[in-house]
Amino acid sequence: MSRVAAVIADDEPLLRAQLRSRLSRLWPELDVVREMENGRDVDAVIAEHNPALFFLDIHMPGVNGLECARAIGDRAHVVFVTAFDQYAVEAFEQGAVDYVLKPFDEDRLAITVDRLKARIGTRPSELEDLVQKLTSRLGTRPGSEHLRWIKASVGSNVRLIPVEEVMFFQSDEKYTRVVTCEGESLIRKPIRELLDELDPAKFWQIHRATIVNVDHIASVRRGLKDQAEISLRDHSETLVVSRAFTHLFKQM
Amino acid sequence: MKSISYLLEGLTIKRVLVVSLICLGAAAIVVRGVLNTYPDLLLSALCVGYTSMVLFTIAGNIRQHLVPREAMQVLAIIAGSFLGTILATILKFRDVSTMFTERLAGVSITMGLGFGFGCVVVAMYNLREKTARDREQLLRAEADRQKLEKNVLEARLALLQAQVEPHFLFNTLANVQHLVQTDPPEAARVLDSLIRYLRAAMPQMRESATNLGREIDMARAFLEINRVRMGSRMSYAIDVPDSLKQHAFPPMMLISLVENAVKHGVDPCCECGSITIRAAAAQGTLRVSVEDTGEGIKPKKGGGVGLANIRERLKALYGPSARLVIEERAPHGVVASIEVPA
Repeated sequence: MSRVAAVIADDEPLLRAQLRSRLSRLWPELDVVREMENGRDVDAVIAEHNPALFFLDIHMPGVNGLECARAIGDRAHVVFVTAFDQYAVEAFEQGAVDYVLKPFDEDRLAITVDRLKARIGTRPSELEDLVQKLTSRLGTRPGSEHLRWIKASVGSNVRLIPVEEVMFFQSDEKYTRVVTCEGESLIRKPIRELLDELDPAKFWQIHRATIVNVDHIASVRRGLKDQAEISLRDHSETLVVSRAFTHLFKQM
Repeated sequence: MKSISYLLEGLTIKRVLVVSLICLGAAAIVVRGVLNTYPDLLLSALCVGYTSMVLFTIAGNIRQHLVPREAMQVLAIIAGSFLGTILATILKFRDVSTMFTERLAGVSITMGLGFGFGCVVVAMYNLREKTARDREQLLRAEADRQKLEKNVLEARLALLQAQVEPHFLFNTLANVQHLVQTDPPEAARVLDSLIRYLRAAMPQMRESATNLGREIDMARAFLEINRVRMGSRMSYAIDVPDSLKQHAFPPMMLISLVENAVKHGVDPCCECGSITIRAAAAQGTLRVSVEDTGEGIKPKKGGGVGLANIRERLKALYGPSARLVIEERAPHGVVASIEVPA
């Protein structure tokens, strides 16, 4: 049988070495031509070695196994390697793709090797659907679209404040006050920009100069001249709701 | 019209009925002492009563901060008694001009009675309102207390439910599996660390009182395992004076910060990073910090759940005298510190 070129991608060096040594015992014709720490540069690796087979760890920093599989497309066969991912294993069992669990079970690895030997030379299957399904199931989305942290200077340090802690934002001449239960700080980002970036379900504009976190509102009462006043939990300051925004609190 | 309708808010049918009843009663009491007929007195009483009621309602609703609300209401009663008496005079087709000359005595009695009854009613009304307000305040305080209690319970539950990540466990075992064949002494060391970490992470161990030394040991075991797993990508240092190791410290907080530093700081960044744990006591505060040189926090990145849990627990344990501070480290990375009373 002719030689088969393979690539192993895993961010843990010992696990790469382990898979390599096991494979060399089970599949002497297999040449591991390259080890990768993550899925970056996969195109260059394919161009250089044209491997028939990739072993991809799912969790890797930078470019993870799923993103890497998508980049490989049908240019090579893919075997996923994972330590524990209930959803992934379920998905693999339904699909045509091979997978290996860490820590490796010698017998299970042998079965995978046999299947791969039979498959080498056939056209690699299209993984796009599976990868898409896994990506959504594993929650490897790139992060929420809303602002989650506020960076505020405190002395020479930059404090990171989770937005959930913020009771309200209020413009104060050229700065914006960020008020939390523990104190307040000033940031340069204007109310207008904050409004675009904060989660609108949690942060409501109640005045030209004020955005309040609705989770921190204790009560709302009528104030002077068609305005309303908001009292907050754990804070003595009351906030004015200007006439243009009082509709937010009508009939609640 | 709508813009001033709020002034009459509270002028309910019930209020009109109550005032009417008081007027009926007041006229019945007064009729025994004077020569006037009952209908005549009732008309005066109703005029004074209704006028005072309307003014009283407006005084209570008017939005101003100059005069206390109670003073406004008393003024409304005085004005109401005065205007009501004039109104009664007009309705009885009497001459208004003689009110302050020939009929001054009668008029004064009507106004005086109106004012007297009015004040008694207002006093009773305000007393009732105050009782209701006190009750509401009491209920709110009770609700706040229950909420705090619920938070404490939730925080404790989250602490008990937090599990050793299977991903971490199996990956570590895979490393040990390999090391057993290639480097048995190193395999033994990793196993030792894993055992120490697992012991400390067992749910039943978590609630017992713990000290900083034990929390540091757990963090060290975790970091040691990761150092082996990540190879040259991660290094760590622990700079905690022995004198502080006996200090009481809440369980599972330091390890959360260390896990964050590995998972969100050093691991996502492909270049090598380091993690440093420091502790210092000054001015009555013990500050324990975890610093990483990783990729730092992006403004839209999530992952605050563990941190919110630490904040809740600190608040439940120490109130305002403890806090969790997250800061950016220059040129990159994060410093997370827990401050508790020393």
